[in-house]
Amino acid sequence: MAELLLDSNIRVWVFLPIVVITFLVGIIRHYVTILLSSEKKSELQQVADSHALIRSRILRENGKYIPKHAFNMRKSFFNDEDRGFFKTQKREAAVKNPMTDPTMMTDMLKGNVTNVLPMIIIGGWINWAFSGFLTTKVPFPLTLRFKPMLQRGIELLSLDASWVSSISWYFLNVFGLRSMYTLILGQDNAADQTKVMQEQMSGSAMVAPPDPMKAFKAEWEALEICNHQWMLEGVEDELTGGIIPETIYIKNKFA
Amino acid sequence: MAEQLNLSNFEDARTYLRKLREDQIRDAAMVVQIWEEVLMNYAYNLGDELWLIYEQVCIAALDCRRPDLAMVCIEELEAKFPKSLRVTRLEGMFYESQDRYDKAQQLYDHILSEDETNMFARKRQVAILKAQGKIPEAIAKLNDYLKEFMTDFEAWMEQCDLYIAEMDYAKASFCMEELILSNPHNHLYHLKYAEIKYTQGGSENLEIARAYFSEAAKLNPRNLRSLFGLLMTASGLAVYQAKNARERQANTKYALWAAEQITEIYQSELNKKQVGEMKVMETIEKLLSSLQLPPGN
Repeated sequence: MAELLLDSNIRVWVFLPIVVITFLVGIIRHYVTILLSSEKKSELQQVADSHALIRSRILRENGKYIPKHAFNMRKSFFNDEDRGFFKTQKREAAVKNPMTDPTMMTDMLKGNVTNVLPMIIIGGWINWAFSGFLTTKVPFPLTLRFKPMLQRGIELLSLDASWVSSISWYFLNVFGLRSMYTLILGQDNAADQTKVMQEQMSGSAMVAPPDPMKAFKAEWEALEICNHQWMLEGVEDELTGGIIPETIYIKNKFA
Repeated sequence: MAEQLNLSNFEDARTYLRKLREDQIRDAAMVVQIWEEVLMNYAYNLGDELWLIYEQVCIAALDCRRPDLAMVCIEELEAKFPKSLRVTRLEGMFYESQDRYDKAQQLYDHILSEDETNMFARKRQVAILKAQGKIPEAIAKLNDYLKEFMTDFEAWMEQCDLYIAEMDYAKASFCMEELILSNPHNHLYHLKYAEIKYTQGGSENLEIARAYFSEAAKLNPRNLRSLFGLLMTASGLAVYQAKNARERQANTKYALWAAEQITEIYQSELNKKQVGEMKVMETIEKLLSSLQLPPGN
């Protein structure tokens, strides 16, 4: 098969512009995301709930280090039938409908504006402006399997698989410029599109916030079956050498 | 740590300040010194880290009573982040250092109206009350805070100290229990809890104190303070509170053991002459000899 020779205008007007466009779009995306980003504010109620849950968990784990009456005092603070924290606190289920909550709507819109829209517009534009070119050749032979990946937009059966079409060159740039962005914009930049694509692949990106009532119920149950066994029972004898046999037995049984 | 680094060197100075920030060490004099002698001349070289350093230096300057330096830092930060709540907090702290508590209070109220979960502003308000000597009000305020942020153990520690200042030992011991729950392997928490219980008095509290002094001594055998505590509680229990001969015997045994440990530590740390001058040994011996006699004789 005769060797193909590409017009040098293709290099100047197709190959390089695609690199430059993809790169600049990434940079712009980064700054637009910074401009549009809004800090997520946590609500006092949620913070307080999570603190209460953590405190109850710590009580279950380390309760054995405080005296029995102190443990029971805290346990009844959380679990008392009439006045316990987990029994009296009523929370609405926090699963919000994204369509009715305006702040979530704007968040979604911002995400779309910075991530999905440029993807579609730039991709479409590249497809329209530069379709049908062979832009470059990878310097090693490839098998036929690579043809759909590297030669999108050019359906030539007899063409060698190492040739790269313009659309494929665009996609290679989109995915390959990540380390360049890291170099220029620093870690954790917003220019990289691959992360967004992964999110879209994995289905809905939104995770429903946990329901505090359910967490309270679970914690209540866990604390309810938690019994106090004082770790410091007989610690003086352990320290001074004479060990009382019963205490060893108890510790080994419950430790 | 400071000895290994040459702090007049720009890179080392920067690393040192970063380390202080990450470990939350408050070495104010050092920070101010490093800033004025080294980093101030390289401010343009610090990049975005400069703003973090301004914040750090500002707090250090307030600690060192250097309002001039703190003001410079706040002005720089204010110019860069005009509406930041973090800068507002620094401003509030600046007014606090000038004893202008009303103005500071106003700023903290503003922060809380913007972001009601701001822990710093809430704790600063407690600090204002404490600085004005209004301990009961500070306790009430901190209690409101702890109702929302139950696992802020620094706040529990502060609350414990406030209660001790008010001599409300039952509540102080409750706060210490929270701290023990947070980290049951810290011997200092056990020690402080035992001391509060010892101060409360009564045979039940003394027994708890004895257990916690022992736990502290178990976790750190070189903790002299807990050994002395164990000696005091055990001898006290043996002489005045023992219900029967068996308890008295056990308590005497603990006291003897603690005395033995204390003597050993003193003898290993000091030479003979020093030990003789300390009179600690004499006192312990006197205490022990009173133990050997049954009370009432």
